[in-house]
Amino acid sequence: MSNPSAGASSKSKVGSSQPSETSFKRKRGVFQKDLQHMMYGFGDDPNPLPETVALVEDIVVEYVTDMAHKAQDIGSKRGKLSVEDFLYLIRKDLPKLNRCTELLSMQEELKQARKAFEVDEEKLGTLE
Amino acid sequence: MKQSKDPFEAALEEQEESPPDSPVGEDELNSQTPNEPQNQTDGGHNLLVDDDDYDDMGPNIKNPSHPSSSSTPKLHSTSVNANVATRATTKNKEYDDDEEEENVEVELSKFPSSADPAKMAKMQAILSQFTENQMSRYESFRRSALQRSNMRRLLVSITGSQKISLPMTIVVCGIAKMFVGELVEKARIVMTERTESGPIRPCHIREAYRRLKLEGKVPKRSVQRLFR
Repeated sequence: MSNPSAGASSKSKVGSSQPSETSFKRKRGVFQKDLQHMMYGFGDDPNPLPETVALVEDIVVEYVTDMAHKAQDIGSKRGKLSVEDFLYLIRKDLPKLNRCTELLSMQEELKQARKAFEVDEEKLGTLE
Repeated sequence: MKQSKDPFEAALEEQEESPPDSPVGEDELNSQTPNEPQNQTDGGHNLLVDDDDYDDMGPNIKNPSHPSSSSTPKLHSTSVNANVATRATTKNKEYDDDEEEENVEVELSKFPSSADPAKMAKMQAILSQFTENQMSRYESFRRSALQRSNMRRLLVSITGSQKISLPMTIVVCGIAKMFVGELVEKARIVMTERTESGPIRPCHIREAYRRLKLEGKVPKRSVQRLFR
């Protein structure tokens, strides 16, 4: 009676009545807490309306999903998915692109810093 | 005189193009933190983690969890620093835990390329004039982030592959955060056009989303989503 495809589309916004499987069921409010602070930071009320937050979360998840699918299409030509695919997708959007390169370089620096920190700690340890 | 180069500084200088004012940057930093000679003898680390995400109060202020930072109140009242300090630990948990030890002792002499002294000075001039309200909003703006673990789970479920690298998660979180920013800002514009006030309502977000789609900032689905 019910459409067999409806059961197959387990990732869509089905109610939480179904038992959770290994796949990620779209649980409500995954990003809710973070999104509230984020929206306040970007100009909303200190307490955004819950329905607004839910809507923004849905939009963001859809955005990330679409981006990931597109990146996968690009990456499949190369073989596997990599960061460059995402960077290629946002190449037209300069603020995002700059921000991403900044994030990546910061992460590199931190990795180096941590490595150097551990090396120095070892040195100090052996001295004492 | 410059202190002896530790391997990290040397590595950094190799990594990045050395801006011509980097010695100036060092001297500035040294002159502004005269009370901290012990840091230099501590193993020669001179790295202030200046990055935007990891130090909210501007590049010249060390992480507030460092006990001696209160002796050098830069621009803000120490109450703000204390406020930030209590949340500094929760904030640091968002990033890797190792980073917390990093922040305590280290001081970057070489700032990332976006933070040349002129820009930093401008930034601090602006920040010093913020009202309490503005400061708290700015703090939320800087500190808020989507959880990497949740994002990673989402990406795994979308792509079906378990191999989602850490840089990819970071990049996607950053992109998503900026997207939220665009949405909220446009929603505010919509609200002022309709001369409404108060918290943002879903209708504003929907209108903002529609406009973003028209501008082409939202990737279009190649396959229409039929069953919601």
